[in-house]
Amino acid sequence: MPHDYLARVRNATIGLAAVGAIVTATYASPLAALGLVAGAAWSLVNLALLEVLVVALLTPAASARALPRAGWAIAGMTALLAGGAWLLFHLPPLALVAGFSLPFAVITLRAVSRALLESAAWRALVRSPWRATLAVAAVILAAWWLVPSGSLGQREGGEAHPAAADSARATLSDGAPADSASHEAAVAGETHGDAAPGKSHGAAAGEEEGGAGKFPNLITMIVAANHGAPWAHTLHRIEPILFAFFVGIVVCVIGFIASRNPKMIPSGLQNGAEMLVEALYDFVGNILGPRYARKYFPLLGSLFVYIFAMNLFGILPLMDSPTSNLNVTFALGLTVFVYVQYVGIRSLGIVGFLDHLLGNPRSVTGWVLAPLLLPIHILGELAKPISLSCRLFGNIFGEDMLMVGFAALGVGMLSFKGAPDWLPGIPLHAIFFPLALLTSTLQAFVFTVLATIYILLMLPHEDHGHEEEAHAH
Amino acid sequence: MNFQAALALGLPLGIGIAAIGSGIGLGLIGQGAMQGIARQPEATGKIQINMIIIAALAEALTIYAFVALLMLNSKIG
Repeated sequence: MPHDYLARVRNATIGLAAVGAIVTATYASPLAALGLVAGAAWSLVNLALLEVLVVALLTPAASARALPRAGWAIAGMTALLAGGAWLLFHLPPLALVAGFSLPFAVITLRAVSRALLESAAWRALVRSPWRATLAVAAVILAAWWLVPSGSLGQREGGEAHPAAADSARATLSDGAPADSASHEAAVAGETHGDAAPGKSHGAAAGEEEGGAGKFPNLITMIVAANHGAPWAHTLHRIEPILFAFFVGIVVCVIGFIASRNPKMIPSGLQNGAEMLVEALYDFVGNILGPRYARKYFPLLGSLFVYIFAMNLFGILPLMDSPTSNLNVTFALGLTVFVYVQYVGIRSLGIVGFLDHLLGNPRSVTGWVLAPLLLPIHILGELAKPISLSCRLFGNIFGEDMLMVGFAALGVGMLSFKGAPDWLPGIPLHAIFFPLALLTSTLQAFVFTVLATIYILLMLPHEDHGHEEEAHAH
Repeated sequence: MNFQAALALGLPLGIGIAAIGSGIGLGLIGQGAMQGIARQPEATGKIQINMIIIAALAEALTIYAFVALLMLNSKIG
């Protein structure tokens, strides 16, 4: 239907002109935006008049009204020509021409996309998800190499490209190539446009001296691209919080998917989740005893899964582990501390809690030693969140620093004088990926176990007998 | 010497000294674990889990020294 087609072209042109006007007004002058809109409007009116003229002249029926209508169309187009000449004098001509060509751009793009989408090549590409993923990854890699390095490349010239491919190769060298490439593609595609991801990756990785530098992540890249903007500064400051929330959301989504439509005989994700939960519950139950395990397990299990996920996020490309920041780990430690005190006060009562802090004085010796035991117990309680947070932070941050140091070493190994720009460094830090996995798991585990033990120590002491019963079988 | 030289000298030295204690402690933990496993191989799983927990606690002491270095790192130069 010609009318339908032209109406769609008209709507697309109006939308494009509106967006283009906003962009032009922001980055060029408002006058240029006005010129764009005027050019597009002129072209659309011209097209409408042309449509009237063609329909009037070529429709066989109703030829009585055809000629006057054609006459009006020609008169309108002449007036439009005069108006166009007037516009050319008063508005920037480049914007006018751009606006004028908008409908034709729309028509061309529609034709091209139609030809492309119905071709056999596209259908062959889309049929298999692996091929499609490879195509997306190839597009992103091509953009990586081709997008000219802006303010990021001038930090150090040669390292921009090398470490980009170096980190790409590093992630590709351990684990299934398609998996990490698709994950990288998915992550980069889903959260941010691929404007120079590799350049800043290389730039910042090249300038690591092991001081406070880390591998660049998504937020660092966004901040570096918008250097100086106040919102970029805020974004840089709340970066660990954003990643912590993101990890939380990811874990929640995975849990939600795993528990959807639960089957009696589980398989796949539900099976894996059930295995994890059962193992954790058995372990916590061994320490706390069956009566308290059910009550405190949600917190302890969530702690393990959340900290484990946060630790592992540092190994993913373009991501950073929130636990490599002392603020996040201290938040976790503080949560455990406050909760343990709450458990103590709740299950022992205020009097029992103070009695516990004084060391349960029952005899004269007990009462004499009580004023000594009170500060010792309080200091011990205060030391717990500090030790928990520092242990987790030190391990994860230290692992991060180790990998950064070795990555810088690897980049430096191939940066001899006269080295070509595209030469990536050797991904030496890949050696430490298994160590990073081990440390991540271990530290999450230790955090959970310690939190469990702190809760156990706060509970009424006669439950130690129950615990031995649980151990007996 | 100015405080920067003192820091640059003292902080890594602190980590090294802390590592001595951690090393001895971890060795003792490992020795106890190995003896326990040798006596009763069927309890290997439980002994291993407890060994790892205590090893992480002993290792944390060196990590505290490392954290102290990280906090004072920017003051050197």
